[in-house]
Amino acid sequence: MIPHPEGGAFAHPVTTGIVLATLAVLALAGLAILWLSRSGRAKPEFRRELWLRWASWCVLLPLMLSPVLIGRAWTIGAVTILSLACYREYARATGLFRERLLSLVIVLGILAVNFAALDHWYGFFVALWPLTACALAVCTIPLDRPAGYIQRTALAILAFMLFGAGLAHLGYMANDPGYRPLVLLLLTAVALNDVAAFTCGKLIGGAKLLPATSPNKTVSGSLGAVIVTTTLVALVGAAIFRGTPLANPVWLVAMGALVSVAGQAGDLLLSSIKRDLGIKDMGTVLPGHGGVLDRFNSLLLVAPAIFHLVQYFVGFGLTAPVRSITG
Amino acid sequence: MDWNLRPARDLGLTPADRLRSLGREPGLIGLAVNTAWRRAVRAYLAAAHRFRVEGGENLPASGPFVMVANHASHLDALALSAALRGPAARRAHALAAGELFFGNNARAALSAYAINALPVWRGRSRRGDLDTMRARLAEDSLVYILFPEGTRSRTGAMAPFQPGLGMLVAGTDIPVVPCWLEGARDAWPAEGRLPRPGRPLTLTIGPPLRFAGVRNDRAGWQSVSATAEVATRRLAPQQAP
Repeated sequence: MIPHPEGGAFAHPVTTGIVLATLAVLALAGLAILWLSRSGRAKPEFRRELWLRWASWCVLLPLMLSPVLIGRAWTIGAVTILSLACYREYARATGLFRERLLSLVIVLGILAVNFAALDHWYGFFVALWPLTACALAVCTIPLDRPAGYIQRTALAILAFMLFGAGLAHLGYMANDPGYRPLVLLLLTAVALNDVAAFTCGKLIGGAKLLPATSPNKTVSGSLGAVIVTTTLVALVGAAIFRGTPLANPVWLVAMGALVSVAGQAGDLLLSSIKRDLGIKDMGTVLPGHGGVLDRFNSLLLVAPAIFHLVQYFVGFGLTAPVRSITG
Repeated sequence: MDWNLRPARDLGLTPADRLRSLGREPGLIGLAVNTAWRRAVRAYLAAAHRFRVEGGENLPASGPFVMVANHASHLDALALSAALRGPAARRAHALAAGELFFGNNARAALSAYAINALPVWRGRSRRGDLDTMRARLAEDSLVYILFPEGTRSRTGAMAPFQPGLGMLVAGTDIPVVPCWLEGARDAWPAEGRLPRPGRPLTLTIGPPLRFAGVRNDRAGWQSVSATAEVATRRLAPQQAP
């Protein structure tokens, strides 16, 4: 399990540090946009776009950080809502929502896998991935409508993998009493990863990464993000995992690189979906960002990847009570 | 029919715009709310108005089709949708006056989610809106519940049908099902705020009409509406001499 000092939500210095750093970045960004607006250097529509993004963050950050700070059940509840919101956008963008039965099974699967996390029942938690995949594969057969079977089943299984089984790993981490610094680190590191890629790409420029998939991404931005994110995650990770087998420079650097690469892979995964569909944003919920998925795409693959790395070296909630609801 | 990736027609709209969009496609939540509402309405009509349906065998099993009826009360659309079952019930949209049913967001949410209504705006119904409705009717196998008089009758007498009905179905094989609802004016008059339980309500469904041979132009629309009007009047109970 993750080492944690006794005390409340802010007992771990990393938790306090991340929350303070996030608030500071938000305040600095606000001041910078204010300065930009006053100096008249930015065009009005660009200023508006910046303010919209900033205001969205001001709403989003408390919604992301508070559940993690309050406790285990709140964290898992927030992840459940996030999963359902992500699935809703995906279903409406791909047209999978017209398949009512598949949608219902996916929603039930998302609820079940998050229930397993809340119950702290690891066996059920991991079993739900193949079980739900099987349920999705067979549930539309009785409709006797084979046309489109492969497409709808594949879309449904991908949806459950990404938004159900995948994201639920983030909530499951909360079963470890020392989950707060790790979850906060992941939430902020994937955001930093995006910002670092954008900034390095703008500053250095150069060859495009995958122009057909995402025309604005550059190789320099991608590598820059790997360096920045790996450094930060390795340093903060050293403070979180002190005294565990993971506190080894090689593994900490591997963990940091994994966050960056999996984060960018999630981003490109969503870009591929959007390009294939011919749409720009998945939704309109977050002004300046687009949909929930446009914001949280990087988290989709990071959550399970980091979960299993930490699970291998340290383990989650080994001393916490298991099957607290089902007994 | 092959199923291909096709985003929701209302993708990218803000929530308020989506409520009023003619391309609104309900998801699981919309389906659940609408189903619960329809069951509640059906139970209420059966208990409070002894609601009876005659000629139910005339209803096609599934969409697309258009139900038209005389219009005297807010109960009309509720009663017509209560007569539907199965996939036709889930895909039924009542075409409702935008000003009244979509005026503010709370009312629009109720109209969209519970009644599954689509807005029609008096005076500013654009040609593009009707084209969208015509296209969706066939492509999405929808059922439209339409009152071609255009407004609720204050006297109980049925007014002439407007040509809008013709614009939806002229030149297609989509059936138009004429219906007559008797008793709605007593049960909930246009000037009343609430329905009056105890008044009986009877829906008579006539055989479907088809207009595949009618041209999709102004003369064609008029003839569709006139034919449907005659068929609807014929279902009215004969007055005792």
